[in-house]
Amino acid sequence: MRTLTLDKAGIASTIQDGGRLGTLHAGIAAAGAMDPLALKAGQHCLGHHAGEAAIEIAYGNVRATPSHDCALVVTGAPAMLLIDNESVPMRSIQTLSAGQTLTIGPPSEGIYSYLHVSGGFDTQPIFNSRSTAPREGIGGLHGGYLRDQDTVPLGDGAPPIDTYGADPGLCSIEQRAVLTLRYVPGYQYDELAPALIQRLNEDHFEVTSKANRMGITLNGPPLKTGVESLLSEATCQGAIQIPPDGNPIVLMKDRQTMGGYPIPGAVIESDCVRLAQARPGQTIRFAACTPQEADNIRWLEHHYVETRLR
Amino acid sequence: MSFTIGPAGDTAMRLSFQEPPSPRLTRLLLQLQRTAQDYFLNALSDSVVGYATLTLFFTPLSLQRDQVTAWLEKTARSLSDAQETHAADSKETVVLPVFYDPAVAPDLVTLADDLGMTVDALTTLHSATPYFAYATGFAPGFCYLGTLDPRLKTPRLSTPRQRVPAGAVAIADQQTAVYPCESPGGWRIIGACPVTLFDLAATPVSTLAVGDSVRFEAIDEQTYRSLGGQL
Repeated sequence: MRTLTLDKAGIASTIQDGGRLGTLHAGIAAAGAMDPLALKAGQHCLGHHAGEAAIEIAYGNVRATPSHDCALVVTGAPAMLLIDNESVPMRSIQTLSAGQTLTIGPPSEGIYSYLHVSGGFDTQPIFNSRSTAPREGIGGLHGGYLRDQDTVPLGDGAPPIDTYGADPGLCSIEQRAVLTLRYVPGYQYDELAPALIQRLNEDHFEVTSKANRMGITLNGPPLKTGVESLLSEATCQGAIQIPPDGNPIVLMKDRQTMGGYPIPGAVIESDCVRLAQARPGQTIRFAACTPQEADNIRWLEHHYVETRLR
Repeated sequence: MSFTIGPAGDTAMRLSFQEPPSPRLTRLLLQLQRTAQDYFLNALSDSVVGYATLTLFFTPLSLQRDQVTAWLEKTARSLSDAQETHAADSKETVVLPVFYDPAVAPDLVTLADDLGMTVDALTTLHSATPYFAYATGFAPGFCYLGTLDPRLKTPRLSTPRQRVPAGAVAIADQQTAVYPCESPGGWRIIGACPVTLFDLAATPVSTLAVGDSVRFEAIDEQTYRSLGGQL
């Protein structure tokens, strides 16, 4: 069996693909790559199909050694890459020989990098996905974050070289003083105090270090709703949840499937990806958009991505 | 029954009834969910019933808002009108054994004190009547059961526990539930259930489903152990 051993696993590395569909009603998070564009880019480079998984690495610091020669590519947050002691570029296919070591340093910007190995990772899919949902202990190698010395099985079906693609140049990391998160107002938009909604729309917030695959907590003028809890209902990706302490949390891929806090709206998927790659300290602002604008943005970005992947 | 329809983010639509939760409302939401699944087929990636809401998740790029809104409006109205005359589906009651004992329930004694009753009175009240399963979610296999006897109404812990063991039977507000897996949690723990409620190898994976009737049955330590319970 071909394998990849993680001599150093990094602080929060997980096996991720596009995530699960249709498990929310069972209380199981969708999971999936926090930066789906970076996932797609790597799949494209190696000729992988859209269901192939990669290792999602938060803040780099990974060292890996394969049992057999393999092709690989690293996408997402740009980090220094070394094969043994030789520096190699990101987003470019590299050959790692059996026993050689790939080192992924800390990224210079962004958070999530993706290590794709030709043939993919051959772990057991759960509900048609290899994505790890650590809270539920589902998917990935053993249901949790990858640990030092873990050995991950590699797939046998490495695609031939003529299916390799050029780097599509997709990037979700933005260097901006203020990152704008467009959101679709929800039903509580009209029920919460107008002054609170005005603060949400006009003030600046900051990404805090309380940020992970479940949600990203923001810091700013406290949004005191005076609401402790509501009747539980389904949460959606990007939901801006406001707990009693007034610091909004934008719910991400591993969110709890039900929630009972006020939610004035939900950040559109494409801006969730930018937020996922934003580091603590990044200033953000919210901008309400209509559902129709959100649909238009989704179509435009879909076509853009499709064009780049051609 | 009046309801509202609106977006939940950029790929989901949400229907909410302006009505207090009740088994009747939940059965209506379940019927609406089944009808939506049959109508939207693969365009619908998932759907989740809440206490008074139904959220429909669409696969990316397949949500046609105007069409979905019009369909929901029409279907919710006709089902809620028709439902008045329908009898409730008769479902078997799921019986869950519970070991009510301070050895497995850190909040049992203090909660009985807070509520001004004996531990026996508390556990007798908790296991006296069947509960209705209003919603599933939060964690895999977790099922929101109601409605608790008003005498047992209790606030959540002000600081949630980092670690609630699998099988913990807990109450909060006027709800009760069993934690299927170890997780953080802010509900008060009053017992332990040795039955597995979530199993990836089983079909369905969750023992409990929305609309079920669930009753708790007190068991002694020996039975708890023989059913696989751990102290």
